[in-house]
Amino acid sequence: MSVEKMKIMGIIGPQNILNKVLRVVILNGSMHMISALSRVNSADFFLPPTEKNITALEEIPFLKSYSQKRDLAEDEKMVNLFQELFDIKPGLKREYLSEDYDYDDFMKQFSDLYSQVLATTSEIEEKSREIDKKREYLNNLKYLTKFNLDISRLRNMKYLVFRLIKITRENYDKLKKNYENIPAVIIKLAVEGKYVILASVTPGTLEETLEKIFSSLNYTILPIPRDLEGTVEEVTEQLTKSIEQDQKIIESCKKSLADYKEKYINEFQKMYSRLEMEKKIEEVKSEIALGNQLFFLFGFVPVSSVFPLKEELERQFDDELIILIDDIKEPYSGITPPTKLSNIRLFKPFESLVKMYGIPSYQEKDPTVFFGLTYLIFFGAMFGDVGQGFVLLLGGLILEFLYHKTDFGGILSRLGLSSIIFGFLYGSVFGSEEILPALLIRPMSNIDSMLMAAVVFGIILLLSSYIFSIFNAQSEKNLKEAFLGKNGLVGLIFYLLLLYTIVQVFLIPSNKNLLPILIIVLVGLLFIILFKEPLAKRLFPSAKSARTLSANDYIEEGFGILEMLLSIFSNTISFLRVGAFALNHVGLYIAFLTLSQMISSSWGSWAVLILGNIIILTLEALIVFIQALRLEYYELFTKFYRGSGIEYSPVKINGRSSFEEKKSLEHKKKRMAFPLIIVIAKQFQYS
Amino acid sequence: MDKVIVYAAINTKIRVIEGEFLNREDYLNLLKMKSVAEAARYLKEHVSYSQLLGEIKPDTVSRRDIEEILKRNMIKNIDKLIHYFRGDYKNFIRSLYIKYEIEDLKTLARSIFNGREPGDIEKPLSFLGKYSQIKPEKLYQAKTIRDLIYSLEGSEFFEFLIPLVDGRRENLFRLEMALDTGYFNIIRSRRLKISSKDRDLVKKWEGLVADLDNIQWIYRGKKFYHLSPEELLNYTINFGDKLTYKDRQKMCYTENLEQLYQMVLASAYGFLFKKEELSTNIYMERRINRYIYYQLRELSRKAPLSIIQTIAYVWQFELEIKDIISIIESIRYDLPREEAKKFLVKVA
Repeated sequence: MSVEKMKIMGIIGPQNILNKVLRVVILNGSMHMISALSRVNSADFFLPPTEKNITALEEIPFLKSYSQKRDLAEDEKMVNLFQELFDIKPGLKREYLSEDYDYDDFMKQFSDLYSQVLATTSEIEEKSREIDKKREYLNNLKYLTKFNLDISRLRNMKYLVFRLIKITRENYDKLKKNYENIPAVIIKLAVEGKYVILASVTPGTLEETLEKIFSSLNYTILPIPRDLEGTVEEVTEQLTKSIEQDQKIIESCKKSLADYKEKYINEFQKMYSRLEMEKKIEEVKSEIALGNQLFFLFGFVPVSSVFPLKEELERQFDDELIILIDDIKEPYSGITPPTKLSNIRLFKPFESLVKMYGIPSYQEKDPTVFFGLTYLIFFGAMFGDVGQGFVLLLGGLILEFLYHKTDFGGILSRLGLSSIIFGFLYGSVFGSEEILPALLIRPMSNIDSMLMAAVVFGIILLLSSYIFSIFNAQSEKNLKEAFLGKNGLVGLIFYLLLLYTIVQVFLIPSNKNLLPILIIVLVGLLFIILFKEPLAKRLFPSAKSARTLSANDYIEEGFGILEMLLSIFSNTISFLRVGAFALNHVGLYIAFLTLSQMISSSWGSWAVLILGNIIILTLEALIVFIQALRLEYYELFTKFYRGSGIEYSPVKINGRSSFEEKKSLEHKKKRMAFPLIIVIAKQFQYS
Repeated sequence: MDKVIVYAAINTKIRVIEGEFLNREDYLNLLKMKSVAEAARYLKEHVSYSQLLGEIKPDTVSRRDIEEILKRNMIKNIDKLIHYFRGDYKNFIRSLYIKYEIEDLKTLARSIFNGREPGDIEKPLSFLGKYSQIKPEKLYQAKTIRDLIYSLEGSEFFEFLIPLVDGRRENLFRLEMALDTGYFNIIRSRRLKISSKDRDLVKKWEGLVADLDNIQWIYRGKKFYHLSPEELLNYTINFGDKLTYKDRQKMCYTENLEQLYQMVLASAYGFLFKKEELSTNIYMERRINRYIYYQLRELSRKAPLSIIQTIAYVWQFELEIKDIISIIESIRYDLPREEAKKFLVKVA
C-alpha cells in the first residue's frame, strides 16, 4: 500500500557525451523525464557554487531547449531495406546497446554496403523486367510458329505493314461482319478466352486508316522482338538462351546478397537495435536543455534506483558529469512528481482498476490494497460459489499464464478464489446447496441477516473512507477539509451521530431523553460545514486558501449540504446490493432447478442445469463485477480519492524481442476493454 | 422465388419514394422564380426536398450545390432499393450506377485533359466509385489520362481502358468511347443472370435505349466528327430493339446527312427528326429523353411486377434532376421561360 518515494536527479555534462549519457539512462530505464527548463527555473533548484560547477552556473541563464530534431529517415530506410531483403526479424538486444559505440561512425561504415546492396537489387529488378519482356515476346511469337518465316522480314517490308494484335471477341465479330470494308488482309491466329489474336497486313498508304479502325476496336498491340533475325524457331531459341543467361545473372546476384547476409547478419541486428535507441534518444531530447557547451537533464527516479543509476553513470563518465540528487520538497514548484505504485503480488492486478479511476497523486495514499481487499469481499459475498468460483479461477489462470494477460487474468483468478471461499461459507456448489454444509450462513434462509450484514459492512467501509479522506487532506496540508469538510472530521462525527440517533429512535425505543440534544448537535455540525470558510480563517490563519465568501457561495454550500445528506443516506443503503446479489445467486439457481425438474428425461434436466449454470456464471459474474466496481468508485472513492496524479513512465527501451511489443499491445487492447465495462457500469449505477 | 414475394415490397417502397418527385405544379412554380436563391428556397420549402436542402442557405447556394444535394439524394434512395434485392439481382441493380459513374468519369477526364484542378469542376461528381468501388480521392489525384486509367485498376472498367495505354491512344475521345463500350458490355453480361421474364423486359428496354443512342451517335459522328463509316460502325452499340445490324451498317455507310434523315424517318424513330427543326439538333436529346420517359411509363404499366419498376424509378429520378438543373440554369442565364420549357422532359 504505497507510492514509491522519488528523488529528482539532475545530470549536467558536456554536450559531446550527451548521447552516451542518454543511452545509459535509457538502458537503466528508471528515469521519468521532466522538462529541464522548468526544473532549472523552479524555486528550490540549487546548484552548489563549487569550482566544478562554475561553468554550469554560468550557463544557466542562457539555457534553451533542444530544438533541431535529427532526421533519421535515411538510416531507417537503410535498416528497413536490410531487414526486408534479408528477412531479419526486428529484435532489440540490450547487449548491442551497452557496448561503447558512436552511432554516426557505426552507421557510416555501412553506407558502402548499402549502395552495393541497392545496386544488386536494382540489377535483379532490371533483369527480371527483361525476362518478363522476353517471355512476352516468346508468347507472341508462338502465334506465328506455323508460318516459319524470318521475322525480320515481317518488320522490314517496304510497301506493306505487318501487325500482331489482340481484340475482344465482340469486337472481332464487328470486324468480321464489316470485313468487306476493311483495307487489310486479316488472319485470325488464335482465340484465347475473351480475346482473339489477329495478324494484319496492309499497304503502307492505308496504315493510318487501319490504325483508326483498330483503335475503334480497342486493340492491344502484341510486340515482337525488334532486333533479332531468323525464323520464329531460331528467334525463340535465341530468346530462351538469353533468358537463361539473365536468370544466371539473377542467381549470382542473389547469391552475393546471401553472402552479405551471412557475413553481416549480426551487424544488421545491431543496426536495428542502435537505430531504435537513437530514435528513443531523439524523443527524450525534447525534455533537455542546452547551454553553450553543457547539457542539463532532469528526471524523477525512484529512491531504490537512484544509487545504481548514479553509480553506473560515474563508472562510465568519471567526473565529466555533475550529478545532482535532490529530495522532493513540498510544496512542489510546479513539477508534479509521478506516481509509481508498488504493491504485493496479491493486489498488483487491482492497480489497473484503480488507474482506470485515476492515478493517485504523489502525496496521496495508494488505495490499491483497500480497493483490492474490499473488492474481493464484495465479489465473493455477492457471488459465493465453490464450483463457479473454481471456473473463474481456472479461466483467470489460463489468461494470466497462457495468454499473458497478467492484469485481467490476475483479477479474474483472485476473484475466483474469493468466490470459492465465500462458496464454502455459504455452502454452495454450482448453485446447489445440498452438497456442502454452510460454514457460516445460508443466504436464502436468512434474508434479513444477509441484508443487515451488508449494510453494517457498508457502514464500516464508509467510516474507513472518512478516515482515509481525513488523512489524505492532512497530508496535503489542507486542514480546512481535514477538520471542517463534509468528508473531514466534522462529517465523520456527523455520520456517527446520525447513526447513533437512528439506533436510538428505532432500536432502543424506551430511552428518548437524549434525542433533542442529538438533533441540536447534528444541526450545529451542519452549520459548521456551511461556515467552514470563515471558521477556517479564524482557526488556521496560517493555512492557505481560506477565502471570503459571497452570498451566492453560501447558497451553493447549502445545496452542497443537502446533497451530502442525500448521499449519506443513499451511500449507506447502496450496500444492500451486496446482500441482495447473494440472494440473487441462489434465486437464479432455484429458477433453473425448477425448470430442470419439469423436464421428464434425466438428460434434459441435466442439460438445463448445465445451461443454467453457464448463464448464471457469465451473466452474474459480469453484473457482480460491475456492481462491485460501482460500489468502489461511487460510494467509496468519491469520499477520499482524487486520483489526480500522473503515472510514472520512465524512459526505457523495450527488452529483447518483439514479444515485449506484443505484450504492450495486448495491454493497450485490454485498457480499451475496461472502459466499455465502465459504460455498462454507469448504466447500472443510475438504474 | 415467386415474383410477388420479390416485387411486392420493393414496389411499395418505390410508390412511396415516387411520391417525393415534384409534380407538374411544382415545375411550373419553379419556372416562375426570379433567382437561384428563390428557386432553392422553393425546393427547401417543398415537402420532399426540405430535409435535404435544410443544410444549405438559399441566399448563397449555387447550382452546383443544389445538383450535388439532388444527386446525393438519388444515391441514398437507390442504396435503399438495393437492400430489397439479393444475389444477382443486387448486382443488376447496382449496375444501374454504371451509367452515372461513367458520366462522372468522363467529366473528370475532361477536366484533367483541360488541366483543371478537381476543385474547379463545374458539376459535382457524386457517383464516382459507386459502381467501381474505387475511392474517389484516388481518382481525383490523377494528373493525366494515363494516371486516371491506372487509378481504375481493380475495377471492371480497367480491362476496357488498358489497351489505350500505348502512347498513341491515351486521348479523351478514345477514353470516352472505351468507357461507353465497356458500359454496354457490362450491362449485357449483367442481364444474363436475372429471370427470363425480367431478362426479356430489360433486353427490350436496353435495346430501345441502344437504338436511340446509336442513331444519335451516327448522326453526330457524321455531322460533327466526320468519322469514317468503319469507325462509326465499330463504335455503335452492338445490340438494339428495332434496328438490326444491317440497319446500323446502312446508316453508317450513308453518303450524306440527307440520306440518313430519310432512313431514320422511315424507321420507327422518325420522330427524332422533325422536318422543321432539322437545322438545330439541340432538341434531339430532349426528344430522346421524353420518348424514354413515356416508354418507361408504358413498360412499367404493362409489367407491374417486374424489375422494370425499379429501373423506371432510377431513370425518372435522373430526368427529374436534369429538369430541375435545366430550370435553375435557365434562371441563372435569364432565358425566357417559354424557351426554358422547351428543354424540360417531364413537363411539356
